Amino acid sequence: MTRQIAVDLNGLVVEAEVEPRLLLSDFIRHRAGLHGTHVGCEQGVCGACTVQLDGAPVRSCLLLAVQADGHTLRTVESLAPGDGLHPIQAAFQETHALQCGFCTPGFLMSIEAFLRHRPDPSEDEIREALAGNLCRCTGYRAIIEAVGLAAERLRGA
Amino acid sequence: MTWVGRPVPRREDARFLRGEATYLDDLELPGLLEAAFVRSPFAHARLGAVDAGAALALPGVVAVLAGSDLDVLPLPVGGVEGGVVADAGHPVLARGKVRYAGEAVALVVAGSRALAEDAAELVEVDYEPLEPVLDPRAASAGPLVHDHVAENALVRWSRVHGDPEAAFAAAHAAVAQSFHIPRLVAAPIEPRGAIARHEPEVDILTVWCSAQDPHRPLAQLGHALGRDRDRLRVVVPDVGGAFGSKGAVGPEVAAVAAAAVELGVPIRWTEDRTENFLAAYQGRGLDADVELALASDGRILALRAALYADLGGYLYATTAVAPHTTAMLLCGTYRIPAVDVEVVGVATTKVPTGPYRGAGRPEAAFLIERMVDIAAGELGLDPAELRRRNFVPPDAFPYQTPLGWTYDSGSFERCLDAAVELGEVERRRVEQAWARAEGRVLGVGVGMYVERAAGLWESADLRVEADGRAVVRTGSSPHGQGHETTFAQIAADELGVDPEAVEIVWGDSGEVPPGIGTFASRSVAMGGSALVVAARELAARATQAGLSVAELAAAEGGVEASARFESGLVFASGAYVAVVEIDRPTGRLRVLSVAAVDDSGRIVNPLLAEGQVLGATVQGLGQCLVEEAVHDEEGQLRTASFADYSLLTAAELPAIEGRFVETPSPLNPLGAKGIGEGGAIATPAAVANAVADALAPFGVRHVDPPFTEAKLWRLLR
Repeated sequence: MTRQIAVDLNGLVVEAEVEPRLLLSDFIRHRAGLHGTHVGCEQGVCGACTVQLDGAPVRSCLLLAVQADGHTLRTVESLAPGDGLHPIQAAFQETHALQCGFCTPGFLMSIEAFLRHRPDPSEDEIREALAGNLCRCTGYRAIIEAVGLAAERLRGA
Repeated sequence: MTWVGRPVPRREDARFLRGEATYLDDLELPGLLEAAFVRSPFAHARLGAVDAGAALALPGVVAVLAGSDLDVLPLPVGGVEGGVVADAGHPVLARGKVRYAGEAVALVVAGSRALAEDAAELVEVDYEPLEPVLDPRAASAGPLVHDHVAENALVRWSRVHGDPEAAFAAAHAAVAQSFHIPRLVAAPIEPRGAIARHEPEVDILTVWCSAQDPHRPLAQLGHALGRDRDRLRVVVPDVGGAFGSKGAVGPEVAAVAAAAVELGVPIRWTEDRTENFLAAYQGRGLDADVELALASDGRILALRAALYADLGGYLYATTAVAPHTTAMLLCGTYRIPAVDVEVVGVATTKVPTGPYRGAGRPEAAFLIERMVDIAAGELGLDPAELRRRNFVPPDAFPYQTPLGWTYDSGSFERCLDAAVELGEVERRRVEQAWARAEGRVLGVGVGMYVERAAGLWESADLRVEADGRAVVRTGSSPHGQGHETTFAQIAADELGVDPEAVEIVWGDSGEVPPGIGTFASRSVAMGGSALVVAARELAARATQAGLSVAELAAAEGGVEASARFESGLVFASGAYVAVVEIDRPTGRLRVLSVAAVDDSGRIVNPLLAEGQVLGATVQGLGQCLVEEAVHDEEGQLRTASFADYSLLTAAELPAIEGRFVETPSPLNPLGAKGIGEGGAIATPAAVANAVADALAPFGVRHVDPPFTEAKLWRLLR
C-alpha cells in the first residue's frame, strides 16, 4: 500500500508514491536525493536530521513522509544560493565550528530558525537553543561563538 | 610567507556546510542492495540451526547468509610487544557460539533496508543460553568463553624493573588503591558502514568503508577474505567521526564484502545507532590495583600495579593495544626507579573493546594521577609540589622509563606552571576555603599526562605540475581533523607556493601510496613529515638546478617525489586543572572550569589544534559526568541509545581555556607530536582529583567515574 504525496522541498514541488511507514528523513535522502540531511540516531535525540517544516525546526527521523504532504520543507541545501555561504555557514567556517561535519547541517537548520525568532540572543539562550543537537567533535564552544557572530552580522545586514 | 603556525580556517569546510559532503550512505551505485544483520539476543550461547525459510519467502529478499555459508577466516588478531595474545579473532558471522549480545549471526540482503530488517526479524535461530562472564576480576574462575583460552586470559603482559619489593619494604610510606574505569562508547554521529562491489570480469573487490584510513581495512579484509591486495581496493569517503572506533574493520564489513563476491551484487550496510551501541567495539573497561612506595621527602620509590582489562568476547587487531599502552605509560611524567606491572586482558561475554580516543592513555593518566594525589594526602604535601619533586627533568631527555618506552622530549614542570596559572589555582584555593566555611563543596584538581603518539611510518607522493599546482597523495586520512588544510600549509611552506595551489588526495587505496593511517594522534607528525621529506627532495633538486620548485616543474613538465617517513614514538604531554563544585543537597557535579595546557611540539594550525583540544576535553568531561556503558547481570547493554547513554550538550559546557607549550620533538622534521587526544586523557584525571579534593572533608579518598548525582549524593551523607 502506498500513498501519493506532494511536498514543497526547497521551493520545488516533489511528488512521490510512498509507503506510509517511510520516514521523512529517508524520503528526503533516498527519494528526493538530498544527502545534506543526515541520520544519526533515528530516535530524535541527536538532531543530525533537523530540517524545517513550515519554517520550524523538526527532526525528520521522527516524522513520516506522509505527514509532510502539502507542507513546506527546507533542508541545508536551501541555505545559500549559488556557490556562496549563508552568514551562519560563514561564521561556522571562521570559528572552526565543524570538524567531521556530519552533525553540521542539523545545527545549521536549528540555528537559522532560532536566529529568525531571537535575532539578538544571550549566550545562555544560544546554549539552550543548541542543546537539541549533538556534536561529538567540536566540544560546542566554537559553535556557540559562530552563532553569536552570525547573529551580529545578520542584525547588521 | 610562512603558513605553518597560522590559524588558517579550513578550506574543506564549504562542502560540509552546504550539505555537499559525501558520506558512506550518500554514495549511489547502480543495482545497490541493502543489508541488515540478525544479531544474538544472548550474551553467551551455543548457536544451533539458523532457519531462513520465512525470511526468504518475503518478496524482494535476495539472500540470508549464516556463518557456515561464508568461506572466510576470522578478522586478524594483533599482538603487543612482549605480551602473549590468544588466537581469538572476531568471526565474520558467529560460528558455534555467540559471545556477546548483538553479535552478528546472519546477514540478510534485500532490495531495501526496511525490507532487509523485516526479513531479519523472520530468521529463526536456535540458541542454548550459557552463563555470561561479566566481571574481569572474577573471570579467571568463570566458564570459558573460548574453550582453548585457559582462565579466560586473552592477553598477558608483565614487566619488573629495579627492585620494587625492596623499595616497598624500605619505604617511608606506601599507598594502595583499587580502581574501576567503566567502558565507554565512542559514538561518532555517523555510525559505521560499508558498500562492497565485486567486478568478476577483473576479479576486483571494491569496498567503500567509513574508516580512519584505507590501509588497515585493506589488510584486515584481505586476511579474512583470503584476497590479495591487488584484487582489493578500499575507498574511504567523507567520514562522520571515528575517535578510534573506525580503525579496525568490523565483522559486518567483512560479511558484506564476502556476500558481494558470493552473490555477485553490490551491497550496502549502513549501521544504525542501536547496532553501533551493541556491536561497535567499545573503549576503556579496566579494573586496577595500584600501589606507590614513597620516601619521606615525597619521592616515589616504586610503583606496583595489577591491571584487569575487560576485553569482551573476541580480539580485534587493536584490542590488546589499549591495556598495553596503559601499562607502558603508568609512570606518567614521573621518574620512578622501580616498577612491577602486570596486565591480564580478560575474555568477557560483552562486545569487544578497542581504541577509543586516548586508547589506554586516559586509563594510565587516571591511575597514576589519582595515586599521586592520594600519596600527597598521605604525606600531607601539596599535590602540585609532590609532582614537582618527581617530574622527569628537562635535561633527562631522551628518557627511557623503567617500563621501556623512551620519551623523546618534554617540559613537564613548565606545563604544570602554565596550568596552575591558567587555572588560577591560588585564587581557587582561597575561594575553596571560603566555600567550605559556608558549607559548599568545592574541589581543585591537577592532572598531568604523557601521550604516546605517532611512530611506525607513513607515506606521501608529491607531484608539482608544470603550471605550479601541487598534488599530495597521502597515506594519512581525515575524519574531521582538517588534513586538507594542514597538509596544504605544510606543502605550501616547503614548496614556496600558496596553500590554494596544493591539492590533497587521500582515502582511496587505488590512488594513494601504501600507508598506515590516522590514529594515535599521528597524522601531522608522520603523514606531515613524509610530505616534508618528499617536498625537500624536490626543493633540493630545484636548488641544484638553480631554480625554484615551480620553475623546475615548468622546465621539466612536472616533477615528482615519494617519501616514506619512519620514526620512533613521540610523547606529547600536558597539564590540566579542573575546578568543580558539588551541590550538597543533590550531589550534582558542576565542572566550573578546565585549564588545558598541551605540549604537542610544534603546532601547524593553532585554530584546528585548539579545536582538537576542546573536542577532546569535552569528551573527557562526558566520561566524568555522564558516560558509562552499563551491562546488566545477563550481559545485556542497558545503555544502548542516546537516551540512556548521554553525550554532553552545549548547555552543559563549562569554561575551557587552553594554552600550548611547544617543546619540539627531535624525531621528525616538523618537530610535531600529537594533539588529538590530550583533552580526553588529562580531563578525567584532573576532574577525578578535583572531585576527591572536594570530598576530602567528608572522609572520601577516592571515587570512580562517572561522577553521577546518585553516587556523589550518597558520599555526602
